[in-house]
Amino acid sequence: MKLIVFCLFTVYCCSLVKASPLERKKLQEVLRELKMLKRDLPNTELMMNTPPKDIEDCCCLTALTCFRETLLEHFGISGKYQKKLYKSLNHTLTINGLNFCNTETSTNNCSTCHSHPKEKASEFFNRLESLVQRGISRI
Amino acid sequence: MSTRLLLLLYLTGHVFAQKSPDVDCLVVNLEYISCTWNKTGTPEVNYTFYSKLGNDQWKICNHYLTENNMNIGCNQPGDRFKTFKTRLIYGNNNFEKSHELKKQVKLNPPTNLTVLNGSDFNLWFYWNYTSPAPLHCVESEVRFRTNNNNWDFSKVSAGIQKYCINLPSSSSRYELQVRNRVDDTCGESIFWSDWSEPVVWASNNSTYSDDSMSPWTPVMYVVGAITLILLAMILLHHERLRIILVPVVPKPSPFLHNIEDWFQFSKGLKDNFKPNYNERACPVREYNYVSQSDVVSSDGSTCSVTTDQTDCSIEQDPEDLSAPIPSNPVSSEEVQKASV
Repeated sequence: MKLIVFCLFTVYCCSLVKASPLERKKLQEVLRELKMLKRDLPNTELMMNTPPKDIEDCCCLTALTCFRETLLEHFGISGKYQKKLYKSLNHTLTINGLNFCNTETSTNNCSTCHSHPKEKASEFFNRLESLVQRGISRI
Repeated sequence: MSTRLLLLLYLTGHVFAQKSPDVDCLVVNLEYISCTWNKTGTPEVNYTFYSKLGNDQWKICNHYLTENNMNIGCNQPGDRFKTFKTRLIYGNNNFEKSHELKKQVKLNPPTNLTVLNGSDFNLWFYWNYTSPAPLHCVESEVRFRTNNNNWDFSKVSAGIQKYCINLPSSSSRYELQVRNRVDDTCGESIFWSDWSEPVVWASNNSTYSDDSMSPWTPVMYVVGAITLILLAMILLHHERLRIILVPVVPKPSPFLHNIEDWFQFSKGLKDNFKPNYNERACPVREYNYVSQSDVVSSDGSTCSVTTDQTDCSIEQDPEDLSAPIPSNPVSSEEVQKASV
């Protein structure tokens, strides 16, 4: 029994060691897809619910969900880059990489997506880019 | 009345003359935020500085930077991904400004720049970073020069802290410097760090020379000039060599001239081509008509195929050539059989 526990613990520790580069690579992939999408879309005056610039650490995952769902609502997944980006934003590695909450703080204090004021599409993408870069610089 | 008016104007002018201080903030080495307001010169008054990071409360400055006993800046901790607001207060004057610091980062220059002569005969340069940023967030740029010539620049990808110069020359001197900044994937900074301290490599036996002229160069120039003069003299005195090396291009004239006159040959050479004997042309005619008796003969030795070959050694009257033609003409095949 002790041996099994020890083996499981070793596997868990190894997975932690390997996870960081994978998460970083995934976030870098998200960044590339985001840049391709920005380049692909014309200058649009579309207004979208956008999480704020200053997102608390424990509200980053809530903000990620808001970015993803807003993207789906306004651009769909019919386009090549839209589909790729949506899938990447929904990936486990992306979620793990943007999980900055180390405390047991409740995320109930985080604002809902529709409560965020609407901003232009360019500002929406800039804030999503900043969130991903923040994640990469922390890993 | 006029005095009051003047006084009022003076005070109004004084108020408007006091420029609003412009605060510039920079994230230094991703460790702290440094704000200054002395871009246009030392301020005339001592401002009190407040800062606000994201949704936090306003905080007063704990560590002022001073110049001539006046506050000119403040260092405080911060996060470049959050909105940063500053406030300068003096009396009733309140100057507030918002800053986007994500790209306003300046890292410290790389340190411990060393050079090694690798076992692969290449020159390897290594350096370290001092910023708390992860390695994959820092990209570098190197510049190097050979023998104090112009600098060559090269980008080094994020996470790599070495650079290689392939197969360096043992007679050259190499100097290299490095600088860095935050990579694009981590929020690219618009400022590069300062250049690091240079590192120099030169082989022990090298006596590299700068762009100054070698002492052998004027010697080579003189030898080359003398060689040219000697060659010119040889060409002038040796016609045959000159014709071979520098052939004359014939100049065609619209008038019909003797083709020999096109070439500027010497008289002796011309005379050599003139024939010194006479050869008379021999006219040859072949008749196809022979008598039947001659064709049928057994041995065929008395073939009397008449081929009127005038003997060139005997002078002949041209009128004899018009001899009467025999009566029995034969084909050329019969003539061939008879001649065997």
